[in-house]
Amino acid sequence: MIAAAAICPPAPLLARELTGLDPVIPELRQACAAAVERLVRAGPEVIAVVGSGHRTSTWPADGRLNLAAFAPALGIRAALDPGPSPPLPLGLGARLLDEGGYRGPRVLRSVSHDAPAAACLRLGADLSCLGDRVGLLVMADGSACRSLRAPGYLDSRAAAFDAALERAGRGGDLGPLRAMDQGLARELLATARSGWQVLAGAMPGRAPATEILYADDPFGVFYLVAWLAGSA
Amino acid sequence: MIPPASGGQEGTALRLRERSFGPEQRLVMAIVNRTPDSFYDRGATWDEAAAMERVHTVVGEGADIVDIGGVPAAPGAEVTVAEEIRRTVPFVAAVRAAYPDLVISVDAYRHQSAGELCAAGADLINDTWGGWDERLPEVAASCGAGLVCSHAGGLPPRTRPFRVEYGDVMADVLERTLALADRAVARGVDPSRVLIDPAHDFGKNTWHSLEVTRRLGEMVATGWPVLVSVSHKDFIGETLNAGREERLTGTLATSAVCAWLGARVFRAHQVTQTRQVLDMVSAIRGDRPPARAVRGLA
Repeated sequence: MIAAAAICPPAPLLARELTGLDPVIPELRQACAAAVERLVRAGPEVIAVVGSGHRTSTWPADGRLNLAAFAPALGIRAALDPGPSPPLPLGLGARLLDEGGYRGPRVLRSVSHDAPAAACLRLGADLSCLGDRVGLLVMADGSACRSLRAPGYLDSRAAAFDAALERAGRGGDLGPLRAMDQGLARELLATARSGWQVLAGAMPGRAPATEILYADDPFGVFYLVAWLAGSA
Repeated sequence: MIPPASGGQEGTALRLRERSFGPEQRLVMAIVNRTPDSFYDRGATWDEAAAMERVHTVVGEGADIVDIGGVPAAPGAEVTVAEEIRRTVPFVAAVRAAYPDLVISVDAYRHQSAGELCAAGADLINDTWGGWDERLPEVAASCGAGLVCSHAGGLPPRTRPFRVEYGDVMADVLERTLALADRAVARGVDPSRVLIDPAHDFGKNTWHSLEVTRRLGEMVATGWPVLVSVSHKDFIGETLNAGREERLTGTLATSAVCAWLGARVFRAHQVTQTRQVLDMVSAIRGDRPPARAVRGLA
């Protein structure tokens, strides 16, 4: 059963070191920290971190973000962890848990960008059965095509695509996410589509309470930070 | 290559005034001339008010050190010790009063004036003339000041190179500057306040200055902090066939190469541009993060 879920964007710039001397977007980091704090406060016996990646896989629970992949000069990973690093969303999620002081059990699950909806929903259902009180940290965001300067340039379909995500997070009804358009998501660089569908599979009923902590697109990518109460 | 000096250790902190600068920091030393006839500014700060205005400007632009001098490097009318003191000592005192924490360097090669300048508040004696006055280390030691040990190829002060030749110019630079550094420490100068400087153009033709730039890493490898003073100098003008007003690009290019090779203090006329070059090189070397990185990270 899901005790609570938090949604945070898997944007590399969440890692403070990567933006250089300028914190650039401290309010986004604060929102993520607040969402994770609420997740931890729900008292989960295990937290599952979920995010999209090149393949569907379980990663070592001690896996951490490979900063060096984004900023070779920071060169931190090699010294600490010579093993394979989890995909960016999981690395960022693990980092958020660390920063939030969470020391309990954790599971890091990646889900392939190309995983069909049914597989994503099934994975979500499986995760919800990890225990009586499962915390879910979903590292997902929306399109990257919301402005002329966006990574994917402006696409007029992006606003509606992202609005559906925000509506689901705000209202707690994740049902519409089960039918997300995979092709459209790909065209809008919404690489987190599979992660959203895992969330939908894990929380099939309407969440009894939700809170949106951040919803904006400062760089043309739609970031949503949200907390959802579970039914456990 | 000459073996590293006994006195220096690679990567040690440089101390100036009360501050300590790590090997990853690159400092801008802004030139403030109290002369009517220096080659580049041609007396622009001969007037004391203009000189103080220049200090305000360079401090605002982020200079880490100001270098105040009263005697031009080029030959010309004699500047006696008394005249040098008249030009510089009250001014150093005024700068010290205005900026209690600012690192003040003095471009001076005679122990009498250097002593007066340190008493007025200078922190570093920038001896461009290669230790020609053997009593400079005593003065630095007694005042707790630092000392720049430069290479002028044995030329007397305020003389130009004439048919100078070296078997190996960098070997000569290392031999002389390291001997000066060791002498300074032996006479009581705090080793963390000693720098070495190849002194571009001093006792060198253009080929020699290009060579010491190319091989600056050999100086850096000695462990002593390396200062370079290349701003608008003749070797840049000759290399680019550029007049005195056309040497900024060459100056900045040379500064970038020196920074890449590990120089730590850059004596400069243009603080803002030099600061940008050093910050850029520091970021490329991985010593300084970008000011703001978002591209590709959203």
